[in-house]
Amino acid sequence: MALRQILHHPDPRLRNKASPVASFDAELGKLIDDMLETMYDAPGIGLAATQVNVHQRVVVIDVSGEKSTPLHFVNPVIAETTGEEEMEEGCLSVPGVFETVCRAEEVLIHAFDRNGDPFEMNADGLLAVCIQHEIDHLDGKLFVDYLSQLKQLRIRKKLAKEQRQYD
Amino acid sequence: MVLKSAPSSARSATAQALYKIVHEGQSLTRSTRSLAERIDDPRDRAFAQSCIYGVLRHYYSLQALLDQLLKKPLRRKDADIEALLLSGLYQIKLMNVPAHAAVSSNVEAARSLNKSWACGLVNAVLRKASAQPLTLERDRTTHFEHPSWLVERLQVDYPDDWESILNANNEHPPMTLRVNRLQSSRADYLAALGDTNLPAEPTRFSDDGVLLTHSSPVAQLPGFEQGLFSVQDEAAQLATGLLELEPGQRVLDACAAPGGKTTHILERVENAVELLALDLDAGRLEDVKANFARLGLSCSTLAADATDIDTWWDGKYFDRILLDAPCSASGIIRRHPDIRFHRSPEDIAELADRQRKLLASMWSVLAPGGTLLYVTCSVFPAENDAVIAHLAEATADASVDILDIAWARRTKFGCQILPGDHGMDGFYYARLSKGHPAI
Repeated sequence: MALRQILHHPDPRLRNKASPVASFDAELGKLIDDMLETMYDAPGIGLAATQVNVHQRVVVIDVSGEKSTPLHFVNPVIAETTGEEEMEEGCLSVPGVFETVCRAEEVLIHAFDRNGDPFEMNADGLLAVCIQHEIDHLDGKLFVDYLSQLKQLRIRKKLAKEQRQYD
Repeated sequence: MVLKSAPSSARSATAQALYKIVHEGQSLTRSTRSLAERIDDPRDRAFAQSCIYGVLRHYYSLQALLDQLLKKPLRRKDADIEALLLSGLYQIKLMNVPAHAAVSSNVEAARSLNKSWACGLVNAVLRKASAQPLTLERDRTTHFEHPSWLVERLQVDYPDDWESILNANNEHPPMTLRVNRLQSSRADYLAALGDTNLPAEPTRFSDDGVLLTHSSPVAQLPGFEQGLFSVQDEAAQLATGLLELEPGQRVLDACAAPGGKTTHILERVENAVELLALDLDAGRLEDVKANFARLGLSCSTLAADATDIDTWWDGKYFDRILLDAPCSASGIIRRHPDIRFHRSPEDIAELADRQRKLLASMWSVLAPGGTLLYVTCSVFPAENDAVIAHLAEATADASVDILDIAWARRTKFGCQILPGDHGMDGFYYARLSKGHPAI
C-alpha cells in the first residue's frame, strides 16, 4: 500500500467528473487500499478517488473513529433519500474549513464492492452525510459549493494565503 | 470528509470523568449520567463517551506509554492532568483524531482544569507521542489490560480459558434487546426493526431476545417509550426460564434492582404469580418502578435488606426465589470496563461472605418443595460454586438440580457462561430444590 497525494481546493482537477469503473481488477483493489491508507493517515472519515487525482467512481469511508469499519463503494448511486439534516462538514481537500451543510437525513445506496458484486446499504446520521459528501466529489462538487458566494470567496482567499506561506 | 474535533470542554470533562472513575471509585454508569448534564452537543458527548470507554479498555498500555514519555511521574494531586494525557494519547494513537487538533484542544483543556502550568507539559508529551509509533514493552498487565491480581486469579480458576476470558473482556459487547411479549412478539418486533433499516436477528437461546447488528441509542429504536422492549444481555434473559414458574406461585426476587429479571418474570407470567420485588437500595427500587411504568407492569416492591428477615417477611413461604446476588460483576467487564479498577481480591472474599448470608436467609423463607435460583454475573468460583457448596453441605433439605443445558458449561453445582461464550455476558446459574420434611 502507498499514501497518495490529496489535491487541494481550488485545484481544477477536483472539478473533473469521474467515470464509472469498468474492470474490477487488481489495480482497483490497490486503489481502494491506497485510498483507505491515505484517508486514515490524513486523518479523515471519507475519501473519494477524485481527491487523489484518479477520476474513477470509487469512495472509501470509515466513520467508526477507531479504524474498525472500513467501507468502500464502487460506482455508488443514491437510489433514495429521506428527510433533511444539517451537519458541520470539513474536507481533506479544503483543509481547516468547517461549515454547516444541509443534506438528506437518510439515503439508500446501490454500489459494487471490489470484486464487482453489487450491494445495497441504508445509511443515516454521519455515514449518510459522508456518503453524499464523497459522491459529490465524483461529480466534481465540493461542500463549499453549497455556501454563499461571500463565504466561498473568503475561503478561497484564506486557502490562497496559506498556499503562499507554504511556497 | 473530515470531522471537526470536539472542543476542549468535552476533553476536560473526559479527563475529570476518568479521574473520578480510576481514582475515586466512581462507577462508569454514574459518570456517564453526569457527562450528559455537562456536555450539550450529542456528538461531543459521544466523543467524550468513546474516549472514556477507550481509555479504560486500553488503560495499562496507555499508562505504560505515558510513563515512557514523562521525565518524572506526576504528583498525586495532578491525577486529573494524568487523565487528560491518557485520553490525549488515546485520541492520537487509537482514535482517528488529527494530532494537531488533539494537541491544541487538550492544551486548552489543561487551562480549563485551572492548571495552566501544565499546558507546556501536555503540549510536549502529546507532540512527542504523535511523532513516534506506539511501541510498547508488552508485559502481562499491558498486554491483557487487566490488573495483575485479576490475571493471576483467572489463571488459577481457569487454566485453559483465562486468556480467552481476558480477550473477551476487552471486546465491544453486542447490544441485545428483550421483546416485551405482553406488547409485541419477537417476530413482529424484528419486522419493525427491519422497517426502520436496523439489521437484527433473533437470539439463539432466549425466546425473547433480539440481537442488533449495530448498537444504537434506545431512543432511536422503535417503541422504547411504549415499552416494547428492554435492553438486556441474552445470558440474563435465560434466568426466567430456569425458574420454571407456574400460575399461583408466590415468587420472591430478592435483589431486584435495576429490575431486568423482575420485569422479565412479569412479562412471562403477567399476574399469574404473586411477585414481591425486594431491594436494599430504595433509590434503585425507584428505577425498577420507572421500568414497570414504561413496560406496563406492576408488582409489590419493598426496600429492605433481604438477610434481615424480621423487617420484611410476612411469614408466608415462597415457592420460587430468584437470588440475583450482588457480586464482583467480573463476568461483564466488557460492558463495564471500569470494573477492573474497582475490585480488589479482598472484595471477592467480602462479597462471597455476603452471598453465603443471603443464600442462607433466602433458604429459610423458601417453601418445602420450592426452588431457588442463584445467579451472579461473576466468573469466580468463590462467588459461585463455593457459595452453593457451603449451603448444600450444611443443609440436609437442599438438593442441587443438574442444569444440563446447551448454552452453558457444567460446573460441580451449577453452570457457568464465560464472557463471550455464544456472544453472551459471563453469568453463573445454580438451582436448588428444598425437600419436604421427612415424616
